Amino acid sequence: MGAGAAAQKAISPMKATIIIINHNGCDLLARSVPAAVEASDKAGGHPVVVADDGSTDDSIEFLCRAFPDVKVLALPRRGFGATCNASVAAAETEIAVLLNNDVVVTPGFLEPLLADLAKPDIFAVGCMFLNPDGSLTDALGNRTSGVWRGGLLQILHETQPDRLHRTCPQLYANGGGMAFWRDKWQALGGFDPLYHPFYWEDVDIGYRAWGRGWRVLYEPASVVYHDQGSTMKRVHRAPHIELMSAKNAVLFTWKNLLDGRLFRRVLAAQARWAADDVLIGGLPHRTRALWRALRQLSQACRARAKEQRERVRSDQEILALSSGGDL
Amino acid sequence: MTAGGTALLLTFARRGEDAAIRQAVSRLRADGATTVIAVGTPVSAPVLSGLGLDELILYGNGRRAWGALREMRSRRPAMAAVVYSDAGYAGHLKLEALALLSGARRVQRIAPAGSSPVGRASLAAIVLAKGLCACGCALAGTAICTVAFVCLTLRQMAAGGSRASRP
Repeated sequence: MGAGAAAQKAISPMKATIIIINHNGCDLLARSVPAAVEASDKAGGHPVVVADDGSTDDSIEFLCRAFPDVKVLALPRRGFGATCNASVAAAETEIAVLLNNDVVVTPGFLEPLLADLAKPDIFAVGCMFLNPDGSLTDALGNRTSGVWRGGLLQILHETQPDRLHRTCPQLYANGGGMAFWRDKWQALGGFDPLYHPFYWEDVDIGYRAWGRGWRVLYEPASVVYHDQGSTMKRVHRAPHIELMSAKNAVLFTWKNLLDGRLFRRVLAAQARWAADDVLIGGLPHRTRALWRALRQLSQACRARAKEQRERVRSDQEILALSSGGDL
Repeated sequence: MTAGGTALLLTFARRGEDAAIRQAVSRLRADGATTVIAVGTPVSAPVLSGLGLDELILYGNGRRAWGALREMRSRRPAMAAVVYSDAGYAGHLKLEALALLSGARRVQRIAPAGSSPVGRASLAAIVLAKGLCACGCALAGTAICTVAFVCLTLRQMAAGGSRASRP
């Protein structure tokens, strides 16, 4: 081993593949890829891959021209979850880092993630997300926790700066900026296609990881800037995004909530949703979300049975441990 | 509307309804309302109290809608304005029923795209139709959740006990 390689090994003994998921985001890649390459170089050189989900714009040509050293995984259009699964399966390192194409990392974002992953029982570590202007307002994915309320798992994101300064457990790591062990990812089966086309896959895998006895952390030293929903808003209309999110929130409950008493209570609340559409109204149209979820019931049944066999923590334990402040 | 009357502003004060709420307040004032009373939930209270209205009647979070309704009726409103979040006047049955039962002689429906007056008979028909629709939806929701509950529970039982529930 040469001196340079030895120095690299000392900087970061673990190897990670940085995977940027892209769909028709050529202009976004112009910002996100150089930042990822710079961060990779700073951390001792880790492969950077762009997994392209069937783009029809100039994304691939642009990457080949501007970043010839970046590997491009050109996949047919299969949606976010399937593209993530395929690119993680293709990675050759023990750790994978998933980034959205609208996420611009800071140069030192990788090292804290790798350091956290070295702790025992960690499945994944999530970055600290800031808006492109550096603010925290409405930034999603920071120190996530959950509470069963109103017929679904309500996801809470911490937005108070003074409560975001230390590494701590969280329910899930936002799929737009997370690092994880690939072997644990594969053991969990990756993102569940139940949630096709988008949303709730990352909540689901985080919840299941806690259920298996592993942990998910939030790492404030790993800072990324997220232009939230840039790709999504280009591809889908707002009502469709709302509907898919509501459908997947229902499916998440049907699949993962194994506590019998709580499950009955949550389903009773979901039954009332339909009437609320008329009584109260507003997006999302929850009757349609229930109907869409019903069409995937057999898939949800299979996933629930699998979860039942593999779970080592109760629903209460998952929420309590993931919202705890101690590492 | 008679000058010097009391008017009710009924709204859920959702995101995106700000313009319609402001329009509703201006409309009520322009129609001669001397007292504008906002009716909403504790969640909407911060938005409503920032509008500089004369009074705020709250329901929800332990305060029953019936209590709010009695309070509204005691003010003998001449007019009510219901604020919607979409142009189709969808949902909002709760507010429409409150407007109808409040005794207001005229009701104005205000959406982001425009507004239209509605008479008491028309409003009663709307409330009846939406009420039937709500019952249908509740039945549909119950049926979906019952089917889901039975299938999911049976499948879970067939999978055996989870390690989480074992001592």
